[in-house]
Amino acid sequence: MNFPSWTLLGQSLLSGIFIGSLYGLLGLGLSLSWGMLRQINLAHFALAFLGAYLTFQLTSVGGMDPLLTLGLIAPAFFAFGVLMQWLFSRFSISPFNSLLVTFGLTVIIESLIQWIWTADYRKMDSVYGEMKFKIGSLYVPLPELLTLIIAVTLSLSTWALLRYTDLGKAMRAAAEDPQIAAAFGVNEKRLALLLSGLAATFAGVAGLCLALSYTLSPSQIYAWIGVVFAAVMIGGLGNPIGPLIAGIVIGVAEAMTMALISPAWAPLVSFSLLILVLLTRADKV
Amino acid sequence: MLELDHIEVCHGLATALWDVSLKMAAGELVCVVGPNGAGKTTLIEAIAGLNRITAGTLSMDGASLNKLARNRFCDQGIAIVPEGRRLLTTMSVQENLELGSYRAAARVHRQASLERVLALFPVLKMRLAAPAGTLSGGQQQMVAIGRALMAQPRLLLLDEPSLGLAPSIVLEMFKAIRDINESGVAVLLVEQNVAMALEIAARAYVLEEGRIIAEGTPEKLLTEPHIRRAYLGEA
Repeated sequence: MNFPSWTLLGQSLLSGIFIGSLYGLLGLGLSLSWGMLRQINLAHFALAFLGAYLTFQLTSVGGMDPLLTLGLIAPAFFAFGVLMQWLFSRFSISPFNSLLVTFGLTVIIESLIQWIWTADYRKMDSVYGEMKFKIGSLYVPLPELLTLIIAVTLSLSTWALLRYTDLGKAMRAAAEDPQIAAAFGVNEKRLALLLSGLAATFAGVAGLCLALSYTLSPSQIYAWIGVVFAAVMIGGLGNPIGPLIAGIVIGVAEAMTMALISPAWAPLVSFSLLILVLLTRADKV
Repeated sequence: MLELDHIEVCHGLATALWDVSLKMAAGELVCVVGPNGAGKTTLIEAIAGLNRITAGTLSMDGASLNKLARNRFCDQGIAIVPEGRRLLTTMSVQENLELGSYRAAARVHRQASLERVLALFPVLKMRLAAPAGTLSGGQQQMVAIGRALMAQPRLLLLDEPSLGLAPSIVLEMFKAIRDINESGVAVLLVEQNVAMALEIAARAYVLEEGRIIAEGTPEKLLTEPHIRRAYLGEA
């Protein structure tokens, strides 16, 4: 085996961190709705891709700056998340059924994307796309760096919200015992709407990051599900920082496997990690 | 202050409470005794807004609470110490206590309420940062009572506060309940420990199979042979 150069290893480490932060960003919303609303929201991925296509449309056709598209996408996605939670609570959908319902929703959104944008590959041209700078001998692409910054910022602020504010503490209380939280004045239904809106907004933000760095096609929705689920399970359900850390660990492990062994082995890594974690800390998951 | 007028509560298709009437004045200490499965928890949860009543009226100061959303009951000054404590086990003791003062009117007095609770249960001072699930049963019960006090209630509902506790802790708990009542808070106590409950209560109701079968002062109830036999173990 040829040992790769330090530059290649460094570049792999960096790209592992970058893709891992996107795993974490996609996992953030998933983890919140799974851990705190007891919904396994498969549609989170389709929503992220819808967000990516909308960013693509507004930027490539509408001529907007990609970051500014969030001004439109974030409120729209928030409203969608609120509506979704309202329907889930209106029809008392159980956690297992939420998996089925959101799978259906995924297929619907996928068809919608295919109908509007066709199954052709789309790559957003933006001012950020070609921007990269060099640190030593390592290249740092700006879109990926933005993804990392956004993922860290959102995960940390969500953590701080849940940890330090009355609103966040009420959300955690309602997630553990909705009846008792209500008995002390928490409007747990309204908080669930807010939380679901936030999770959907995070999907929209992840969509922006997808559009910045990746070539889009409708079928790509399914490519992310496995590894992001692994990051969420490893990071802990309902934990806002866990998926980011786990995502980066998985991303780096994958990138290192690619550099040191062979790209074909990379997918094996995330699931081996997941199985390992499930075996060693089964009590915590 | 509190008035239950011929209320009925159903769990699904099964009726758990039939035609229950109960009255409490401000600052009173009233207990409800009865065997397991008599509907005591159902009754107390109905007063806290956690169970919907299906017939009759539940009112505070003459205003009906039948249609009130369950998260608004605490604004009426009602706070519950539920059966089995139901602390948020992954959250810290302090966070559990603070949940009690979530409602706006109690939140402004949060610091003062916390100091009052810690004065009542000084042992909690050292455990404020600990996850509530790691405390002993007695300490968890103190947190549950403290959480309810943080809501600054006019009416404190206590569901089996002595359940599963060591006798010395039970004594401490009853002393605390008496202190709370003497500070002006009305207390509705549901207990299986009938002897101790009757000792501190001004009035008592006996609930059997979802119906009130007797009420009155402890002295009066203790003269009834059925009650002496069923609850005090006399032949």
